[in-house]
Amino acid sequence: MRVRFWGVRGSIPCPGPATVRYGGNTPSLEVRFPALDNRLIIIDAGSGIRELGNTMMATDFKQGPINTELFLTHTHWDHIMGFPFFVPIYLPTTNLTVYGPVSYEGEGLDRVVGGQLTYRYFPVRDAELAAKIKYVDLKEGERDLGGGIRLTTKYLNHPILCLGYRFEYQGKVLCTAYDTEPYRNLFCTDPTDPAYDEAMAHEGDLVAMEQNGLLERFFAGADLLVHDTQYTEVEYRASKLGWGHSSMEHAVAAATRAGVKRMALFHHDPLRTDDQLDELTSRYCTGSAPEIFFAREGMEIEL
Amino acid sequence: MMGKTFEQGRPCMNEAPGISEQLVKRIQKHIDRMPSLSTTVTKVLEICNRPDTSPNDLNRVISLDPVLTGQVLKLINSAYYSLPNQVSSLARAIIMLGLNTVKNLALSTAILGTVGREDSFQSLAMDDFWTHSLCVGVTAKMLAAQLRVPRDQQEEYFVAGLLHDLGKIPLNNCFTQEYRQAQELAILEEKPLCRAEMTLMGIDHAMVGKMIGEKWQLSENLVALLTYHHDPEAAPEETQRLVRIAALANAYANLNKIGSAGDRHPDKSQADAVAVSLDIGWGEVAEMEVAVQQEIDKAQVFLRVAKEAR
Repeated sequence: MRVRFWGVRGSIPCPGPATVRYGGNTPSLEVRFPALDNRLIIIDAGSGIRELGNTMMATDFKQGPINTELFLTHTHWDHIMGFPFFVPIYLPTTNLTVYGPVSYEGEGLDRVVGGQLTYRYFPVRDAELAAKIKYVDLKEGERDLGGGIRLTTKYLNHPILCLGYRFEYQGKVLCTAYDTEPYRNLFCTDPTDPAYDEAMAHEGDLVAMEQNGLLERFFAGADLLVHDTQYTEVEYRASKLGWGHSSMEHAVAAATRAGVKRMALFHHDPLRTDDQLDELTSRYCTGSAPEIFFAREGMEIEL
Repeated sequence: MMGKTFEQGRPCMNEAPGISEQLVKRIQKHIDRMPSLSTTVTKVLEICNRPDTSPNDLNRVISLDPVLTGQVLKLINSAYYSLPNQVSSLARAIIMLGLNTVKNLALSTAILGTVGREDSFQSLAMDDFWTHSLCVGVTAKMLAAQLRVPRDQQEEYFVAGLLHDLGKIPLNNCFTQEYRQAQELAILEEKPLCRAEMTLMGIDHAMVGKMIGEKWQLSENLVALLTYHHDPEAAPEETQRLVRIAALANAYANLNKIGSAGDRHPDKSQADAVAVSLDIGWGEVAEMEVAVQQEIDKAQVFLRVAKEAR
């Protein structure tokens, strides 16, 4: 498996002199399987997918029609905004399958993703796309993707349904855990508070611990874990509780406990400058088990 | 039946003279047998309408009712996660899905679980009835948002719309034959259903709705809504905004034939007056059509769970 980062930023693209080195595009990952005729799996369609699409036009398309699978972790805008600019969707020869989670409250995946292509937002309509696009709703579970690739999906803790992906191929494991926040006890835990209820406080602790444990088990032993680390622990505690993102401290500790081999800190806050990321690197990326780094646009990792 | 006509100009209201005591007794008996809404649901309503609901309060109030708890968990497991038994307790649901999701699920489930029984429906088609009610609920809530009702009160407009025709359930159950005739008469004479009810039974669904609201100790707003949704001007001043908005939503659902609760010819001139009093044009109401339909589709899942739970 070969993984390449085309977008590593959270929330909104943030190009500019302060984000040149780590990149300003929102999430998009390219996963190649050279032994499977260079099969391509894409994770997320943030603004980074635009460049990936252009590269595919210059390389894959020369070899023949494009067949690819796009896995969306969730449908928040920063993870789908690049879709209308992904050139292969305009080719009649392209076969694209889009997978992603959708809650019963929302519209189908086709409407959520394709709905960006309406005249109100964009000059081309969804119905005018030439490619053959198939949408598949995903829930938590396991799936055989053929060619010896196994996929396990896991619900994460984010304000909308959001999936973590675990791809396994020939003993190698790539795992994504974004966007997610550690589960925490929402019930009152202060015994002096009149609302305090011992049983509730206890169950809340138990469930939060159990859910966090399940997530660690989900990415246990991964050769590469791509984890949401939008904030530092201080930032998180100060004002970001409930926003659906993790702190670097939490993610690193969890990955270490889970025996992860390599870890990409990912979904950088749009306010984070290159210099700050360098500084944070010296703070958080010191260990060797796991080997930790802040994801950069253009970075390639061989598993 | 053919010989009977409407008394001209008589509004639907609750102080009609000469209702037989026996009839009221029969309806009262039916209402007494209806599962009570008074404890859990009113509490859930009250808790959910508070902007500062705490996870502790919400868990406590839903847990009082094991049936409701079961339905909420079923809804979460089937509709939300499509995984059986993944979410096995309310505390778990609140931590995994967040407070607001659980709050909204509980609210709607509580109400539909109480009044959505198939055996309550004789001459009215249950699915049509609830589609109508859902339409009035979502429309009322959207109108409330448009008319700048504070956000933390908007859910009450949904509930109001959902429940406004509650009085039809006992009427149609105790007097199935007469109720069918009332619907036919309303169609034949192209008049509002509540007038036909009054003509044939001497009581209308607004009066019965009031009886239920009082028995269940619903909020003043909801009792006023049940009582005056066909005569908003008569509602107590402090409840008038809710009653008017729900009445307009009701007229919208009836005029556009979204679902049906037997009222094919609502009083259009009265609806016009309500729209004027709210300072909203029919054009603005009509613009919500697509959004209303989408909201109804989403809310259908509640009906399924309410039905399956029996």
